[in-house]
Amino acid sequence: MHDFVANLPQTLDQVIQSVPLFKPELALIGAFLAVVCATLFIDKHWKQSSFMIYIGGLLISFPLLCQQLGQPDRGFFDMLIIDSFSVYARMLLLFALLVTGVLIRQHFSEKPTRRPLGEVYSILLAAGLGLHLLTATSNWLIAFIAIETVSISSYVLVGYFSEHKRQSEAAMKYVLFGSVSAATMLYGLSLIYGFTGNLDFTAAAHLQGLMAAPVALCTVAILFIFTGIGFKLGFVPFHLWTPDVYEGAPTPITAFLSTIPKIGAIVLFSRLVHAWLPTPFYFSEVTYLFLVVVAIVTMLVGNLIALRQQNIKRMMAYSSIGHTGFLLMTILAISNNNQEVLLFYLTVYTLMNLATFAFIDAIECTTGSVELSDYTGLGKKFPLLFTCFTIVGISLVGLPPTAGFIGKLLVFTAVFEVYQSSKDILFVLLLIIGTLTSVISLFYYFKIPLFSFLRKGDDESPVTPLNNRLAALLGIGITVLLLVLGLFPNIVLEFLR
Amino acid sequence: MITLTHFLVVSACIFCIGLYAILAKRNAIMILVGIELMINAAILNFVAFGKYDKLHYGGQIFALFAIVLAAAAVAVGLAIILNVYRHYKTINPDHITDLRD
Repeated sequence: MHDFVANLPQTLDQVIQSVPLFKPELALIGAFLAVVCATLFIDKHWKQSSFMIYIGGLLISFPLLCQQLGQPDRGFFDMLIIDSFSVYARMLLLFALLVTGVLIRQHFSEKPTRRPLGEVYSILLAAGLGLHLLTATSNWLIAFIAIETVSISSYVLVGYFSEHKRQSEAAMKYVLFGSVSAATMLYGLSLIYGFTGNLDFTAAAHLQGLMAAPVALCTVAILFIFTGIGFKLGFVPFHLWTPDVYEGAPTPITAFLSTIPKIGAIVLFSRLVHAWLPTPFYFSEVTYLFLVVVAIVTMLVGNLIALRQQNIKRMMAYSSIGHTGFLLMTILAISNNNQEVLLFYLTVYTLMNLATFAFIDAIECTTGSVELSDYTGLGKKFPLLFTCFTIVGISLVGLPPTAGFIGKLLVFTAVFEVYQSSKDILFVLLLIIGTLTSVISLFYYFKIPLFSFLRKGDDESPVTPLNNRLAALLGIGITVLLLVLGLFPNIVLEFLR
Repeated sequence: MITLTHFLVVSACIFCIGLYAILAKRNAIMILVGIELMINAAILNFVAFGKYDKLHYGGQIFALFAIVLAAAAVAVGLAIILNVYRHYKTINPDHITDLRD
């Protein structure tokens, strides 16, 4: 205890010095508190106040984040890592949060609820804060707090409205599954802490502790930890909640769930894997084999089950599971000098999913249905929307001339390069499964144009005007962005390098 | 003399009891209790290991944060289960199966 007291002044000094590194997150915290107050006091007089503060907080956080560009630094006793990887990931997070915020506002102005919307924005900001931390740490304590912050926020987001049976059921499944995963992860972390006496998973002491740990217990601990991360990412066998929650949650919340938590979790996972893989010891082998097997199984399960889905939100859930498998393969293929491959694929994936859910939301607000069979004949009524929807589908498959193609091309190139240098047969397997599942995905994404354009609907029904135009416009804007990125990928790639 | 091993064995037992409560899944509240037991097993581990980490007190700090986060998660969980009860008039997860393939 005396050692601790003697070090106290230096400790405090370092904390104070590190505070400027935390500015983008402080902006989010400030906006969070302001939104809570605005919901209580100002929303009665001016309904938009909480939404405006939400947007304002994100817009203030962005330039503060830009200041950190190209200035790698560490703060709070190496608990906070500022590097280009985390800065780009956080920029993407802020953009995605902005889009989801707008989608939520539009969705609930079409379908008013009795619950105050302001609280949703504050919870979104809390989730954003957790994800910011997740991308900028290699410390288990911060990672666990961040994962729990994101999880609890997501439970609330899914369960907040609970307007019909399905929504409350989805929320219950989510909260129970999520809490069990978090508890399991915590137990794994406690074992890892026991082996190493250190909570920073990149530290030398941590790796040495893992090397000396007993084989069986070490395997159990690692698998337990992967349970927690696997739940956030939604890879097999921890994907069971995904389809139910995606289907049950309101559409803009599904847009949030399918993109934003994955950005944070994948960045953390990639840091973890790159810290643990390079050693020749047992725990590296476990990590490596686990990752390869899970990537393959996830790609296959996600894409194959998606084939027989009739509900488009369920289909997108399985599609996002498939994409998670693809992201795991990307993690294996990249090293420290080509992180832009992962970031580019992540950006494209986020854009594609946000656009898809914007379209689904616009159609849901107009026709009130999310079943694929109800899309019959809608292509004639909303030609522009469904053309763009089809383009996003093409991008999700990974065909030119869209950004999805460039993303997949970069990943496959990276995997092939690793194979050439390591001659590891598992990478060929990954490559084959990756291509095969891309082909499989063609069949279910093309159900969208199949139903909307090719199947004849009843032409008698009057042409209803499209509700929720802003969501549709947002989706169209993102589609244009996807095409531009597909034709000129260097705009973003240069920036990410 | 109580050694580290004793703590680890007790925590492993608590973890398994929690896991059993979850897998038996008769009642959503029982699942929450099981989750709480699992978290407490981990917290016990952290504090036991923390004895050997005199410099940073990582284990003790982790235990404190874990307690707070567990309480927050359970509060949200109970609120959601209450909502489910209002809609279904039951909290047996086996009877709440509107969403499925």
